[in-house]
Amino acid sequence: MWHEDFDTRAAHLAANGLYSPADERDACGVGMIAAIDGVPRRAIVEKAIEGLRNMWHRGAVDADGKTGDGAGIHIQLPQAFFADYIARIGKQPDARLGVGMVFLPKKHFANQELCRAIIETEILRGGYSIHGWRQVPVAADVIGDIASESRPEIEQVIIAGRPECDEARTERDLYLIRRRIENAVRTKAINDFYICSLSSRSIIYKGLFKAEQLTAFYPDLLDARFVSNFAVFHQRFSTNTAPAWHLAQPFRVLAHNGEINTLRGNVNFMRSHEANFTCDAFKGAEDDLRPVIPDNTSDTGALDAVMEILTRAGRALPLAKLILIPPAWSKNKELPPHHRHLFACCNAVSEQWDGPAAIAATDGEWVIAGMDRHGLRPMRTLVTRDGLLICASESGMVQVEESDVLERGRLGPGEMIGVNLLQQKLYYDYELKNYLAAEKPYSQWVGKTILLREILQQTTRLGRSKKRATPEASHLLKRQLAVGLSMEVVEGIIHPMATTGKEAVGSMGDDAAMAVLSNQPRPFHHYFRQNFSQVTNPPIDSLREARVMSLKTRFGNDGNFLALDDSHSEIVLADTPILLAAEMAAVLQHFKKRITRIDTTFALDAAGNGLRQGLDRIVAEAEKAALSEKSFVLLTDEAADESRASIPMILAISAVHSHLVKKKLRKKSSILVRTDECSDVHALAVMIGSGATVVHPALAEDTIVARHAHGLLGELSSEQALDNLREALAQGLLKIMAKMGISVVSAYRGGLNFEAIGLSRALATEFFPGLPSRISGIGLSGIEARIRKLYTAAYPKFAADVESLPVGGFYRLRAGAEGHAWTGENIHALQTAVTKGSYQLYKKYAASVAASPPIALRDLFDFRSNAAPVALEEVESVVAIRKRFVAPAMSLGALSPEAHEVLAVAMNLIGAASNSGEGGEGPERFAPRSNGDNANSVIKQIASGRFGVTAEYLNSARELQIKVAQGAKPGEGGQLPGFKVTVEIARLRHATQGVSLISPPPHHDIYSIEDLAQLIYDLKQINPTALVSVKLVAQSGIGTIAAGVAKAMADKIVISGHSGGTGASAWSSVKHAGVPWEMGLAEANQVLTLNRLRHRVMLQTDGGLKTGRDIVIAAILGAEEYALGTASLVAMGCLMVRQCHSNTCPVGITTQDAMLRSKFEGTVEKVVNLMSFVAEDVREILASLGVRSLNEIIGRTELLSQVNRGGEELVDLDLNTLLTQADAGPHARHCTLTARNEVPDTLDAQMLEAAGEALAKGEKIQLAYSVRNVMRSIGTRLSSLVVRHGGAAFDEQITLQLRGSAGQSLGAFLARGIRIELLGEANDYVGKGLSGGTIIVRPRPSSALVPHANTIIGNTVLYGATSGALFANGQAGERFAVRNSAADAVVEGCGSNGCEYMTGGNVVILGEVGQNFGAGMSGGMAYVYDASRTFEARLNTESVVAQRLQSAYWEAVLQHLIETHARETSSPQAVHILSNWESCRSNFWQICPKEMLSRLPHPFSDIATHSPLQKRQA
Amino acid sequence: MLQFTTTEQAYPQTREAAARKLDFNEISAPFNPAEAATQSSRCSQCGVPFCQIHCPLANNIPDWLKLAAEGRLQEAYAISSATNSFPEICGRICPQDKLCEGNCVIEKGFGSVTIGAVEKYITETAFAQGWVKPIKITRESGRSIGIIGAGPAGLAAADMLRRQGHALTIYDRYDRSGGLMIYGIPNFKLDKKIVQRREKLLRDGGIKFQLNTQVGITITLDDLRKKHDAVLIATGVYKPRALGISGDTLQNIFPAMDYLTASNRKGLGDKVAAFDSGTLNANAKRVVVIGGGDTAMDCVRTAVRQGAASVTCLYRRDRANMPGSAREVKHAEQEGVVFEWLAAPAQFIGDGAVKSVEVQRMRLSAADEAGRSNVEAIAGDTYGLDADMVIQALGYDADDLPALFNAPELRASKYGTLAIDAQFMTTLPNVYAAGDIVRGASLVVWAIKDGRDAALAIHARLSVEARHVA
Repeated sequence: MWHEDFDTRAAHLAANGLYSPADERDACGVGMIAAIDGVPRRAIVEKAIEGLRNMWHRGAVDADGKTGDGAGIHIQLPQAFFADYIARIGKQPDARLGVGMVFLPKKHFANQELCRAIIETEILRGGYSIHGWRQVPVAADVIGDIASESRPEIEQVIIAGRPECDEARTERDLYLIRRRIENAVRTKAINDFYICSLSSRSIIYKGLFKAEQLTAFYPDLLDARFVSNFAVFHQRFSTNTAPAWHLAQPFRVLAHNGEINTLRGNVNFMRSHEANFTCDAFKGAEDDLRPVIPDNTSDTGALDAVMEILTRAGRALPLAKLILIPPAWSKNKELPPHHRHLFACCNAVSEQWDGPAAIAATDGEWVIAGMDRHGLRPMRTLVTRDGLLICASESGMVQVEESDVLERGRLGPGEMIGVNLLQQKLYYDYELKNYLAAEKPYSQWVGKTILLREILQQTTRLGRSKKRATPEASHLLKRQLAVGLSMEVVEGIIHPMATTGKEAVGSMGDDAAMAVLSNQPRPFHHYFRQNFSQVTNPPIDSLREARVMSLKTRFGNDGNFLALDDSHSEIVLADTPILLAAEMAAVLQHFKKRITRIDTTFALDAAGNGLRQGLDRIVAEAEKAALSEKSFVLLTDEAADESRASIPMILAISAVHSHLVKKKLRKKSSILVRTDECSDVHALAVMIGSGATVVHPALAEDTIVARHAHGLLGELSSEQALDNLREALAQGLLKIMAKMGISVVSAYRGGLNFEAIGLSRALATEFFPGLPSRISGIGLSGIEARIRKLYTAAYPKFAADVESLPVGGFYRLRAGAEGHAWTGENIHALQTAVTKGSYQLYKKYAASVAASPPIALRDLFDFRSNAAPVALEEVESVVAIRKRFVAPAMSLGALSPEAHEVLAVAMNLIGAASNSGEGGEGPERFAPRSNGDNANSVIKQIASGRFGVTAEYLNSARELQIKVAQGAKPGEGGQLPGFKVTVEIARLRHATQGVSLISPPPHHDIYSIEDLAQLIYDLKQINPTALVSVKLVAQSGIGTIAAGVAKAMADKIVISGHSGGTGASAWSSVKHAGVPWEMGLAEANQVLTLNRLRHRVMLQTDGGLKTGRDIVIAAILGAEEYALGTASLVAMGCLMVRQCHSNTCPVGITTQDAMLRSKFEGTVEKVVNLMSFVAEDVREILASLGVRSLNEIIGRTELLSQVNRGGEELVDLDLNTLLTQADAGPHARHCTLTARNEVPDTLDAQMLEAAGEALAKGEKIQLAYSVRNVMRSIGTRLSSLVVRHGGAAFDEQITLQLRGSAGQSLGAFLARGIRIELLGEANDYVGKGLSGGTIIVRPRPSSALVPHANTIIGNTVLYGATSGALFANGQAGERFAVRNSAADAVVEGCGSNGCEYMTGGNVVILGEVGQNFGAGMSGGMAYVYDASRTFEARLNTESVVAQRLQSAYWEAVLQHLIETHARETSSPQAVHILSNWESCRSNFWQICPKEMLSRLPHPFSDIATHSPLQKRQA
Repeated sequence: MLQFTTTEQAYPQTREAAARKLDFNEISAPFNPAEAATQSSRCSQCGVPFCQIHCPLANNIPDWLKLAAEGRLQEAYAISSATNSFPEICGRICPQDKLCEGNCVIEKGFGSVTIGAVEKYITETAFAQGWVKPIKITRESGRSIGIIGAGPAGLAAADMLRRQGHALTIYDRYDRSGGLMIYGIPNFKLDKKIVQRREKLLRDGGIKFQLNTQVGITITLDDLRKKHDAVLIATGVYKPRALGISGDTLQNIFPAMDYLTASNRKGLGDKVAAFDSGTLNANAKRVVVIGGGDTAMDCVRTAVRQGAASVTCLYRRDRANMPGSAREVKHAEQEGVVFEWLAAPAQFIGDGAVKSVEVQRMRLSAADEAGRSNVEAIAGDTYGLDADMVIQALGYDADDLPALFNAPELRASKYGTLAIDAQFMTTLPNVYAAGDIVRGASLVVWAIKDGRDAALAIHARLSVEARHVA
């Protein structure tokens, strides 16, 4: 039985491997329909079913090809249908019926019966009676095998209503009954039981099938008696892999498209909220409501549970949405005060649930659609003449006659739209918030909040602030020594923060020993690896999109979670959780009656277990405090001296936080921290992530003050330097949150968004519950031993005092300090070997690598084989092996052109592959040179910047790689500083010489797994032969992500280790994000195998691979391809100077400086030698293992054994989780693909023949089709054909006339020569990567809409466009023209983040724009028609200036574009503007990037001194 | 930092050869502060510091260069002196072109950072500013160590051990401490005041010196072992190697050490009969020096300064394969020394005293395992070279310490050097050895390194013992 097997095998992996079921996440398509008049109709149910049918492409299909990840529908309970049923069994209902839709254990009959008994008992106990049970008719044969095997028994329990109870009362009662049932079942430990819905108002039909199978599986839904005044529907694409019936959506209140990143923190805080909540609606029964969040649910399930209890407790559904998923409001300049006060009060109730979210929800009274603060999921809205509100992920999913359409809109960030079925009223966003704001006196309540800033001003006024004393030098030195600070950290990390307000930048990868393998005392935060978003949700750009980010920190919000009153607002509010000494003093003063001070040091004379005793004491003191009036705890290590050592502060914080959470006391306490251990951004993040409310980095502060006193800060005052420190820490914290996709610190706090490596399991379980810690290691005694070592050095017994800090060696190699994988010895050995072409010298190099102390996890392994060795000649050849080698993505920009080409030529020479990186590549390299050298990188990368990603570029590749994350800085974007943008690089990237270029953190067309599937689909269209690979970075949970990626039809998955290199990124990212590839690869391989997906996807790995030994270990852990990045560079002469970011590479590899490039001594031969030597090394190892090819050992973990358990202080460094094998069933353990995984054809399949003929003949051709939203990437496959023909003969050679709602990615990578004319509307990603084609979108002739007031194209339009034009007669969605490089476009309004990161092209917007326009825009020109006078407040002036039209030249450009728009679309708005030019022209703003001002071909202004908006605001 | 792409390499000014030939003063001027900072700022701050990797002491060179570039000389001195007991000496006499500077990543293409000159500058500034202070310990450990030999290894070990609170006595057979640093190296490379200044600091830090004390004669090894918790042998090697060719017993053929010691003693103001008699004075003589190491360079340049009529250096390999520092060769050539490469003495000719040297022309042959070319004679290609004085700088071998110390239990290697274990202990319990007497003749910087490492081993051992006692 597959299902039971699966469970067993999954359980085996969960227990022994790296797979964790807690990593389950959702993504998908979602929609809702509501009748504004509240009248039920059959049409709503039918339209919802149709909507589901039209979003199959947004869901996933499992390995069996049939099982979907789940779909479902939530509608009104068809009373008539059930009344008829009751009548048939001879009963007469005397009041409204209630129905429970129940999943029961299918195979365990005793449990099934027990569940029925519990249900009946609780219903009766709740005062209701039961009419009977109904077995829900299902067509079991339509669903897939996997779904079938796990199918529950699906039944309905029909409850007799009580005439005396109104609907609201009945619903409340049924809710309580359901919760009691759930709790009762839980205590009986019964699995496979779930109540979809239990209500007299509505019912949910859902299950583990594809959306289009809904009615086939549940024929009930075809019954005409199923009428409803609303429908909420959903199709799931889970990144979990264990398909589960109960996780299908909708849930009882909502359906959700997106992912909740802050889940762990939310769940923890919810435990505290629920500890002492009370509620009139459930007076006395509160215990039955706990726990609010059930175990084993998904992120959405948890959110739903909380939203449900809020609504049941009396909050209106839209208010509950505002509390849990608030808009970004604090930095919004346009917000009216009554909204601001409403949001402030909502914010005080709960930390938000953060992450991409488009929701459709109902509580019976309200039906709403809502968007989170980021607006990253699509939600198109439509109102019909017959009174329906239809919201869905895509326009066209629910088809409506165009003449019936009243308006087409979309939800922007933080917006809602909804219908109140009782009031029979449609509320738009603004009205809805007005309505909520008027419900309670929020403006009064908000006045109760006190700002820390005000307290500080007051204490300063009262003269209480003490003058800052300069710390005494020798005492300071001892404090620094005691926490293991080095000169490297002081000079290289703390100092830059103080002087620049930013984190220091480094380059190359992290090749230092992992903390647990180090023989040096390492700070405690080094055991924590930052988590980050990839694929399932997007990271955020905390710089360019700062308006959504917040570090606002509250003290003392311990109000009753379920109460809607002013208690929540009686708080103190700080701007940031980073406090300097004066602020800490002010807080302590203000709360002095509430504070318990807890010393976090332990006596060094305590023999051996001082740390344990200390922690016990701290936890006991904190609990006692929380139970008292003085419930705020101050954790302080200031008592540390020669006789008392600090307990690692992170450990103390988490011990206190987790204990208080467990005791449900956390809400009463704030955890204030004063510490000497916070010297970098990562330490701060771990402290906040462990639960600290605020942190005072005392030693960092004192260090800076001392440096100031010594004159080391130049002109800076100490106040400025400290402000800089705080700014740098704050920005760094924001960035770490942002890479997780978390925008507000309250949602990050206590969330432990990390993974521990090398903390003993016991320690992690006790002090960091919920923190993934898969590699056990150091425990309390080991930590204590390391602390004692530091103290002995800082406070010597006899010896002369140490006069200076140790120099360090963590960031850069230093003698006698931290071990690094690349040493002078092995660099020199490798270079000599490849220069001389000597395999014997290579062996010396390999021996030197092997002899170094353990740096990486694999260094603890050795091979073991029972097989007799085979003769070397029998092993597959060097030629065969080195074909599996890859020169990984390093862009031309990071590398010099010389180095980039040498790599490509060398890899092509041996039939291996090099990767272009994300900087584009010159077309002259696409064909071999006359001497036979081929400098074409056969892997072309598609990264978030989309630089140089043209149709031609994509067609020059054998493999297309989507870089979702990069090992050195997963979850982050990048910036190529202007000085590196040479003429050549500007050409390749379609940019301007000398102007900086920004790569955003996320792909703006991948916010979720279904988006990735769409991009893969696009790429398989634009290049009909290339494999598509997806590059991920190792992290816990990568197995589930990899399975999702495989289902999204990728052909290859790259698992990068944390040690991957970079041309430049913040040190905290290089050093502390991601996990080793050994862990990521093993997990991905295990989970893919478990899910029968492994054989159809290839795995590649990279991260510090150096020798044949590394390659063979990678193969055994599951990889079939291996990328050697740094080793390739070293072969070409890299000396690990690590100054790539400075453009001063002395060996000419990572520089664009012509003089330095002339020093380059890399050659094709050296690279080929490296690859050949490593391959030969692999052969020898294979022979010794008794195997003849790499394929034979892939996944064969029995060939490895752990031979080293690390240092003596370690409890148990156990790598067995890496060696667990998943059952591969009938399939191979390696990829058996012979061709790529093909995706279904789109409309283009019909066009190819006709178009091919025309192209061949050089004729024009026109094709006409009607289209639907399921037809995606129209024109893309055709573009490939055009490119492969060598380009179109002339512009507009092929015209596509389309009619209807086009699917996503209309005209993606559309080539020159193709023109699309669409009558209707289009969804997201129109003109993605536009490569010279033209796209025109205008309403159908039958439409009565005012075009510029309605939405016609979706989100992320023209992303990465490199040439071409778009004219759309209507509004665009969010992120219009994001990263546009050169396309021209005219639209009539757009959502937030318009023209973000744009580097070229002319964009005209003839209507309102959303917030944050022009963020990170560094090239091109934009024009906005601002009749509504809203523009100025929405412009992000960080990188652009805006002015009124002041240049005849640019005005002519604008006019020409509008004229073209009018001609192409007949836009009434364009015609109006043109015919009233003189009066209208003053409404225009012209927006130009600051960096471009001096580089424009024509001046920005004809007036000598212009006054751009920027200056006026200043 | 990282200014190498825009700032050219510049060493401190050296005096004109004509002028410096006239005295024994150091030949290069110190850096001025601006130059030192500018030159330091050329450092590339490498992720893998090849300068440090090729420094026997593993000095944290990039770190003190950064501090020097920023004018933070006191901190620079603290970092520099943390890994090196005598940075002012290494800055002067290390063959940087073979070590740190020769491996600087910008050496090729840009010219290395002038590390030695900066090191000297930092340390001299520290002395001038009074930052260099005698060792001040928290409290006496109660353990004592005797060190035999006041050369660089013995002094470095003493420095390290004293910092751990131990009592130290250094024994030396000479009347001055310093070993080769005082009597071997000429003043123009290392002024004797520099060595004496350091000795005074060590004395002020509580280290006792017992000079004119020869183990085996004035005091026995057993005495020392009874008196101290540990004894470190750091005598160095002094037995000159000889060519063993015909005529090598003629007069006026000297081992280098005799020649240099006489000159150095004169410089220190001693009365040296053999010099005053003219025997060891090269003045007006045609001098031939044999050898290609740094000692040979010291000899030729000393001879120039003594007013030799001519100075010729014979070396059997070529310039590229010589063991000595190329920089020293350059200096010597500037001062008028003639180098005869690929030239070996075949025999000395004379009547009582040497008159000339018959020189055999050599050619390079296949390289050995270490990559150094071997040489072979070109048959029949010889010529005569007139000589009034011949100095043989052919290296040193170890003296027979087990015999000299009357300690047959001390085991020596086949080269005569002392055998030690990984903790620097000889075959006698609690008797340690370090420096040239273990390594064979080598650089001062290696002696310092060995002395420091031995000190760590001794300290570790004493600490373990202390714990056992307690």
